[in-house]
Amino acid sequence: MSKLYTFLKYFFISFWTIFVVAPFLWAVSTSFKDFQSVNSKVTYIPWLDFEPTLEGWRVLIKSPAKGGVDIVEPYFNSIFVTCTASLISIVLGTLAAYALSRFTFKAGFVRNNDITFFFISQRIMPPIVLSIPFFIFLSTIGLLDSLLGLVVVYIVLLMPIAVWIMVDFFNRVPKELDETALIDGCNPYQAFYKVVLPNSIPGLIVAGMFCIIFGWIDFFFAFILTFTEVQLLPVKVVALNSSITPWWSLSASALVSVAPLIIVAFVVERYLSKGNLSGALK
Amino acid sequence: MEEQMAKIDLSNISHTYNPLDPKPTYALNPFSMTWENGKRYAILGPSGCGKTTMLNIVSGLVRPSKGEILFDETPVTDLKTEDRNIAQVFQFPVIYNTMTVYDNLAFPLRCREFTKEKIEERVKAVSDTLNLSSFLNSPARKLTADQKQLISLGRGLVREDVAAVLMDEPLTVIDPDLKFRLRRNLKEINEQYKTTLVYVTHDQNEAMTFAENIIVMDQGQIVQVGLPKDLFEKPKTTFVGYFIGSPAMNIFHSTVFSDHEVKINDTTIKTNSNLGNLKDKNVKLGIRSEFIELAEKEKSNTVKIKLTRVEDFGNFKLLTGKMGDLVIKSKVEREKPIPDGELNLYFPPEKCCVYSDEKLV
Repeated sequence: MSKLYTFLKYFFISFWTIFVVAPFLWAVSTSFKDFQSVNSKVTYIPWLDFEPTLEGWRVLIKSPAKGGVDIVEPYFNSIFVTCTASLISIVLGTLAAYALSRFTFKAGFVRNNDITFFFISQRIMPPIVLSIPFFIFLSTIGLLDSLLGLVVVYIVLLMPIAVWIMVDFFNRVPKELDETALIDGCNPYQAFYKVVLPNSIPGLIVAGMFCIIFGWIDFFFAFILTFTEVQLLPVKVVALNSSITPWWSLSASALVSVAPLIIVAFVVERYLSKGNLSGALK
Repeated sequence: MEEQMAKIDLSNISHTYNPLDPKPTYALNPFSMTWENGKRYAILGPSGCGKTTMLNIVSGLVRPSKGEILFDETPVTDLKTEDRNIAQVFQFPVIYNTMTVYDNLAFPLRCREFTKEKIEERVKAVSDTLNLSSFLNSPARKLTADQKQLISLGRGLVREDVAAVLMDEPLTVIDPDLKFRLRRNLKEINEQYKTTLVYVTHDQNEAMTFAENIIVMDQGQIVQVGLPKDLFEKPKTTFVGYFIGSPAMNIFHSTVFSDHEVKINDTTIKTNSNLGNLKDKNVKLGIRSEFIELAEKEKSNTVKIKLTRVEDFGNFKLLTGKMGDLVIKSKVEREKPIPDGELNLYFPPEKCCVYSDEKLV
């Protein structure tokens, strides 16, 4: 029984690994091919099956004037928008979450849970519902097709994630920790940033990771709220496609797009497993 | 240690957690009490009787619905927790996970901007008392549960300026051996520095061995305040009789027979209580199993019981017997021979307590 279980376990893990890794390997292999290698016959292994070339990668940094697509600027745009919006969302979201976790709010029939749900409901709504309001809003304040406009929109999109994760996290931070800090002589603000916040670093990192992922992969709003001035990476990658699909540069750009998320995942992975507060009150 | 402790007055304090309710339920019913400077108090009572609420009111974590708190005659009811100079230790260890043991102990002093030298001196003194000196540089989260609780305790004791150290069942997670030593340490600290210590517990032995004064609470009410001896010998209510002592006090339904006598079933028992006003009333007679003596033959103030069980506890024997449908328990010396079948038990009049409406006459 246990042997069968072990076999099935490893079989499933192996199958899943292949399922996840194969597209990446395919993309890596394709990014070093040229038109001929992609279209002639099925090829897998460089030097044996096909002659590798860096053309797919070079195109990404060449300016359009020289026949390239230049994803460097959209790349940095994406980094700027994602990081700024994530940072602001985490700061505001953490403060909101702390208040929702520690204080009782009452306004008519609205209670803490309703307010938390209001935040989350922003993410439950299909994005298309928000597209026209966002478009009109940004155009009214003159931020359409600008990095700042995108930052504003992304804060709206990312803050619910931060609030959601951090409310749950703070709820698991024992209230006695704040009370002890007060008794030890901190005022409520000091208790928050000297005691509660350092204890919440795993939660902050997890919330930060989700914000970065959701900010980085967004295509929809980046597409409808920008035109010519500003372009974000996902839009640029999609725009690479033309009548003849350039599989090599598409693969290369897909790999560079996904690289930051892989790095984030590796850094954050250790916190995911201990994303709870172990030991403060035991 | 500087003498900065204070006398704490709780004046007409009451508290409800649902003040907007038309019929609020009170976690603490109105009471007044004074905690004298430098004394050791234990608040004893079953879970949910309002012990923790009382502590939280004194430390400022909870604002009382009514009444006033005074430290040395100065009202502090509206003062915030951080301004009250109270130390509080919770039931489960609360430590600052991200700090070392040293930083944990130094934290209350740093918050109050003590000098570095002073902090070092105090942390050293407290860590020596609590056997934490060898862990000072370890991350606090890596310690065991009882060591963590020592840190919590240490943070309470490290400050010199506290009006009182409030402890909410602080030794629950500590193993029995260390528990005993810590209680002794706390007593020493109290005797040496005259720190007022208030200790909440539901363990009567802990309360009896630790405190000079015990406050017994039940259902949000203070039932009795007194020395351990008074609580044991003269419980003011039947609740205190049941709650203090093991086994609980023997309590029998009885009728007042004369000015000093009550009747249980058909047996007349003489007491030292004045029962003149209660003639023919139904009352309860209470007597500790420790005070009931084995009598060789029937005489005045003896009851005849049918022995149903003898339990040997090592240092004493516990006899359980029946008189009609009443169950009587008596503790006797281990060596004493116990006759089979029927026995006579003697109730010393001075040890008999009579309760009318559950209150001591």
